[in-house]
Amino acid sequence: MTLFDLALKNIRRNMKNYSLYIGSTIFSIIIYFTFVTLKYSEDISALAETSKQISGIMSASAFVLMIFVAIFIAYSNSFFMKKRKKEVALYSLLGVRKRSIGFMLFFENMVIGLFSLVVGIGLGFLLSRVLLTILMKLMGLDIVIGFAFSMNAVINTLIVFFIIFLFTSIQGYRVIYQFKLIDLFHAEKKGEELPKARIISALLGVVSLAAAYWLALQDLATSSIWRMLSLTMPIVIIALTVIGSALLFSSMLVYVLSVMKKNKRWAWKGLNLMTSSQLLYRIKGNTKTLTIIATLSATTITAGGAVFGIYYNADENIQAYTPYTFMWEGAPQEINPNIVEYVEAVHSKTVLIEQGTYEREYAVINQSTFEKLARNLDWSNIQVAQDGDVLMIDAFYDERWSQKIDSVIIEGAEYTVAKLYDKAVFNTSTVGASALVVTDQLYSKITADEKTYQAVQVKDYKNQLALSKKLAAKTENFSSATEDYRASIEASGALLFVGSFLGLVFLVATGSIIFFKMMTEAEEDKGKYTVLYKIGVSKREMKRTIRSQVGMIFALPLGLGLLHGAVALTAFSNLLMMDLLMPVLIWMLAYTLIYTIYYFITVRGFNKTVHLGGMEG
Amino acid sequence: MEPLLVVRNVEKIYGNSANTFKALENISFKIDHGEFVGVMGPSGAGKSTLLNVLATIDSPTNGDIFISNDNIAKMKEEALSDFRRDHLGFIFQDYNLLDSLTVRENILLPLAIAKKPAAVIQARVDTIARTFGISNLLDKYPYQISGGQKQRTAASRALVSNPKLIFADEPTGALDSKSATDLLESLSKMNVEHETTIMMVTHDAYAASFCRRILFIKDGQLLKEIFRGTKTRKEFFQMILVELAQLGGDVHDVI
Repeated sequence: MTLFDLALKNIRRNMKNYSLYIGSTIFSIIIYFTFVTLKYSEDISALAETSKQISGIMSASAFVLMIFVAIFIAYSNSFFMKKRKKEVALYSLLGVRKRSIGFMLFFENMVIGLFSLVVGIGLGFLLSRVLLTILMKLMGLDIVIGFAFSMNAVINTLIVFFIIFLFTSIQGYRVIYQFKLIDLFHAEKKGEELPKARIISALLGVVSLAAAYWLALQDLATSSIWRMLSLTMPIVIIALTVIGSALLFSSMLVYVLSVMKKNKRWAWKGLNLMTSSQLLYRIKGNTKTLTIIATLSATTITAGGAVFGIYYNADENIQAYTPYTFMWEGAPQEINPNIVEYVEAVHSKTVLIEQGTYEREYAVINQSTFEKLARNLDWSNIQVAQDGDVLMIDAFYDERWSQKIDSVIIEGAEYTVAKLYDKAVFNTSTVGASALVVTDQLYSKITADEKTYQAVQVKDYKNQLALSKKLAAKTENFSSATEDYRASIEASGALLFVGSFLGLVFLVATGSIIFFKMMTEAEEDKGKYTVLYKIGVSKREMKRTIRSQVGMIFALPLGLGLLHGAVALTAFSNLLMMDLLMPVLIWMLAYTLIYTIYYFITVRGFNKTVHLGGMEG
Repeated sequence: MEPLLVVRNVEKIYGNSANTFKALENISFKIDHGEFVGVMGPSGAGKSTLLNVLATIDSPTNGDIFISNDNIAKMKEEALSDFRRDHLGFIFQDYNLLDSLTVRENILLPLAIAKKPAAVIQARVDTIARTFGISNLLDKYPYQISGGQKQRTAASRALVSNPKLIFADEPTGALDSKSATDLLESLSKMNVEHETTIMMVTHDAYAASFCRRILFIKDGQLLKEIFRGTKTRKEFFQMILVELAQLGGDVHDVI
């Protein structure tokens, strides 16, 4: 029997043990291949011609994905190798040469790699069809997807993964050479001291997190710190957040748990003692992993929330500057009366108003036109311009930057600005963003030429592309909410797709890392649960302590990630003046939900490992 | 007086129909309250199987086991773990201490699981630790103390909840002779002074000589029992050696 045969047999017989590792490699390949297929897809590249942004996003994301997938596979591989140390030791004890074992592991890993590549590319091909359809849907495009098998994608995937597998195989080979037989006999007998909590570093953690949050929530325009640090500010915030999270895990939680453990009334009840001391060990040993997971979660939540927010708000953004479906200058056009909701001819005069050193153009409308337009848009606080007053409308007004104007001079007389509206009463790109509302009487006095605009609102404005195109060809100074919406969805749809795709990958990967970690620990803890079983702890109680241990390990980084994300998104929404509450909540809920599924899978795996192995004897 | 433990026609069969192995065959005996009983026999005789079955860790294929008036052979999983918690104590060859807990925490675990108030726990732990001479070790971790101290910790844990019956599986197997003697004397003292009922599996004649009565099993069957009666420990030790010689098997090499 050749070594190659032995390696093959090894895999076939131990399929169950290998399935976790093979599963994660296949998963990585599917993800990567799908993404690369999309990148090379002709539909996408046709799109990319019109939008350089999309192709840029795709390439950058593919690179991030590659790095990520490499790390993930390396991680699964090291987990897998750890599990097999005993097997290797046994071979070694029986006198098989290290070189032979090393070759065997090398072959084995390569066989697994090949197998995963075939399966992964096959499944990835199918998945990419589905995802491409979703992508097109999100971008609001009605393109029938061709059944093209991208050779470029296959070659790209093959090369990337061949290198990754070669690397992990060499890693496996190296493990054998570093391995000493004596390690096997001492592997289990480690005496770790319980971590001591240092109050100073615990406080430092809280302080640096608070500082990071405070900085992030500073107003970009007014804060002197922003002016001082300018572009290094984000780096400072991120660094403080990461350091804060790490300290929080390593000291703060250790401190809290130690205090809880010392409280006899709580700790000496049921398995609380066991739960808290297990967690103490686990958190201390896993600070790095927990910090990485919290940071990754925060990144995913923030990026995903922001992108989803923009996508979700596309409608609202359009409405803010283009409240009417169509608007143009000139005579009315014929539109199917069944779909028209509102038509209004708007008369307006243009005046130049001096503001300090420069002049600004305002469209002037009279009170009755304003009232009609505003009422149609369901404005609640429609004010009436009195004699000597005007109302000002400035859709781009932002109190942080814009200058507030108290009075204007029209036709030589001064009028007080009685009210400022910071939203558009008509489409800004046809009429302009700034307007003045004057009394009907004053309007008639203004000598400037009068222009007539048509404002039309139709049903189901998002799907009136044909009508929009027809009108655009016939009219002057045309603006269309339909067109704006489509453009916005196209850009943010691609962003959303890439964002959720990467988000999902990060999510699955972080979930899997915790899963792997907990499974290793379950293996180590087997003995403990056997002892508990023998001294009469019921299975129900054991399950409860496992649930709370695993739950804490999942909840802590998730909670911190959510908190980081919430702060970052608050800062983001302040900056863009967008209400992100709903989309962010939806996004966070989805994230938490998938995490919860992982939690249940892990608890099940933990229970299984602990019970099956330990209860017979 | 009602016996504490009654074992009636217990049988344990391993394997499926095609390939069965009888680990225990038709075993019946009784243990009264306050007894210190040893179980001896060659390797593979079924000592550990018997202990596991009695300790509710394993269930018998046939037969009944009554502890007080409860038939543990017929109990359900959940009831069994409560029963173990409330009435049984265990000492194992490899101590089975939890290394993330201090000596004190290891000892109080059974009381914590039984949801006893903290003040009661404190008092009981202090008392039992004094009995086994480990009062000064209470705040140490298992990896900081010696094997003998670990086994005394394990014994304290087994006894802290005042169980009806203590099961000890080769408790001196991993100890040097001094530590073994210390442990056995402590157990003996508990047996005499507090009438703690102990059942100990061992194949060490020296350890067995601390018992009041010894059951010999071979090939899954109860062969014989001998009583110490009024004999000294040394005389009893000689008696055990004679029995073991008659029993044959590989027990001799261990001594």
